[in-house]
Amino acid sequence: MPELDLEALAEPRPQGQWALAWRRLRRDRVAVACGIFLVLLVLAVGPGAPLYGKIVGHGPNDLFPYAVSVSLRPAGPLTVTWATPTLAGDDPFALKHPPPPHGTPKTFLLLGADSQLGRDEFLRILYGGRVSLEVAAGAAVLALLLGIVLGSLAGYFGGLVDAVVSRITDLVMAFPLLLFLVMIGSLFTHGIGDWTFHGILNRGVFQLVLIIGAFTWFYPARIVRTQVQSLRHREFVEAAQMVGARDGRIMRTHLLPHLLPPLLAYGTLLVATNIMIEVGVTFLGAGIRLPTASWGSLLAQTWGSILNPNPYNPATTQPWLTICPSVAIFLTVFALNQFGEGLREATDPRRLR
Amino acid sequence: MLGYVLRRLAVAVVLLWVLSVITFVIYLKVPADPAGFLVDMQKASPQQIAHAHHVLGTDRPAVVQYGKYMWRLLHGDFGVSWPTVVFFSGKVEGAPVGHMVWQALLVTASLTGGGFLLLLLVAVPLGTFVATRPRSLVDRLSLGFSIAAISTHPLVVGLLLQLFVGNRWKLLPASGYCTVRSPSAAAVAAWRQFAPTGSPEPCGGVGQWAWHLVLPWVTFALFFVALYLRIVRARMLEVLEEPWVRTARAKGASETRVIARHALRNAIAPVATMAAMDLGTAIGVAMYVETVFGLPGLGRTMIRALAGLQGYDLPVILAVTLVAAAAIILLNLAADLVVLALDPTVARRRGRGVLGLAGRAA
Repeated sequence: MPELDLEALAEPRPQGQWALAWRRLRRDRVAVACGIFLVLLVLAVGPGAPLYGKIVGHGPNDLFPYAVSVSLRPAGPLTVTWATPTLAGDDPFALKHPPPPHGTPKTFLLLGADSQLGRDEFLRILYGGRVSLEVAAGAAVLALLLGIVLGSLAGYFGGLVDAVVSRITDLVMAFPLLLFLVMIGSLFTHGIGDWTFHGILNRGVFQLVLIIGAFTWFYPARIVRTQVQSLRHREFVEAAQMVGARDGRIMRTHLLPHLLPPLLAYGTLLVATNIMIEVGVTFLGAGIRLPTASWGSLLAQTWGSILNPNPYNPATTQPWLTICPSVAIFLTVFALNQFGEGLREATDPRRLR
Repeated sequence: MLGYVLRRLAVAVVLLWVLSVITFVIYLKVPADPAGFLVDMQKASPQQIAHAHHVLGTDRPAVVQYGKYMWRLLHGDFGVSWPTVVFFSGKVEGAPVGHMVWQALLVTASLTGGGFLLLLLVAVPLGTFVATRPRSLVDRLSLGFSIAAISTHPLVVGLLLQLFVGNRWKLLPASGYCTVRSPSAAAVAAWRQFAPTGSPEPCGGVGQWAWHLVLPWVTFALFFVALYLRIVRARMLEVLEEPWVRTARAKGASETRVIARHALRNAIAPVATMAAMDLGTAIGVAMYVETVFGLPGLGRTMIRALAGLQGYDLPVILAVTLVAAAAIILLNLAADLVVLALDPTVARRRGRGVLGLAGRAA
């Protein structure tokens, strides 16, 4: 019979809330699967995109006119084509493009060409995912930061700050967010949109982060406000006040740890919503501008644009070009939603185990 | 009751005013010259540009422009759309924005109203059904469907439906809008004689209207149906545990009667509140659907006004913003009144005045 360590049994090690949440999360198989998918996705669109570009030997904006048929139909998946940006010959009645000069290298397009321009669809999905995730995550972080600061100010001090924040929240929640985003996005085509921070971000990303963040901080602010209001008269806050802690310190070290778990879960859901917003705003012509790829512009490209709609002429479009970005968007949003849901349940303080 | 409605309307007017100021200020900050609508900016002389500004009224100070706009608005005049302005013999004429926006509002109302009806027709019966059989196969399937539907972008649904159902399989019209009223014989004759080849035949009538709106309605409803299904189910499960449901059963009411007469009415009260809160989102989703399916609704009108090559059509932008906001505010008020009518306990809490309306509606 194995000997029991009675000392250890008598005094169980207390667990921090993060350790507890981590243990719960690991048991949630759906959340774990979604988490793994998200990590793989970030790896694929982050270091993976340039790596794949290096392997196949071209970039996301390189043109391959040989991947487009004479009838202007882009090539389907698994295409090998000549890697040259110019077509040989200029016979407008040719039934097939004449081959390029001898010695032209070939290249591989995993998901075929993206449009009549003949760019690599798969590479553009990777780079587009990077842009979409940058926008979504950046805007979510901005919204959370604004929400934490303004929400805790409103909840802790009440009074004028509270009144202003609550009124703005009421006002904005009733109005069509997308209408505003599209309006601001299409009116301001230059300026902040051109900031790239020395090439770290793509053009237009920073502007979208700013406008989406500026219109979505109300919801986290509301969560923080109610949470802080319920916490600020609890014993530990009063004890801290009694020993002379200043308001800033109380909010930072005593209240913030209570706010972070629900906000983390909410932030994940916010990233999912923001991806939807980015896709929508870019599709409507007010977000990321071409030639930069984003999931919204990939969807829009085959469909056409609002002033020049070309809805799916079967002769010149491939269904792949709508299905591939659709699947990418769906899987990402689905994984973020499910992971956020798992995170919310794992960090729920009302659960005991 | 009347006081409550009047107070809400007063708040609405203030909100609309704030919104008009914000839109105006945003517009003034935009670096684009509206004179481009009337003259070729590359070739025009400074006098011509100045004259164009004078015609559009943009040569006045911003405050005066705003004041004149509001003054005309109070008289029901939304102004004229800038790209259509012609000025011969000193008289300024163009397409009236009020008419444009009214037509667009009708289209958006057809889309959102029909879509909402469709979603209620699916969500309420199905939600009630799965609530009576929790954890059954149908319940689990509906849960899986809800989770998937919440994560699907309306654009993705719309584009795939248009691509496959509309364009490849040709089961339903892929895009376009038909008015409820049939086109006049003169319009059809004019189309036969003058329209360029390939332009769609003028269509109309209730059947054509609904037929062209099937795909947009499905797209619109699919985005929201998951949420409403879950809320009806959750609320129904709660209500079925209430003591008065037990009482109704004990009195010998049939299960159908218990659900239809006693439980359902209480279960769908939050749907009205939820619908009001989703109106902003609904206008956004309608914007996607209108764009994809080429419906000339509010969202598409807005995007066209913003995407013009010469510049931005400020009167249209302002009008769409204000009309959309006004519609949302009024419908919110209507939803609150519906909730009052459906749930008398809310009315009793509000005081005696409300009871009158709730009693009449019940």
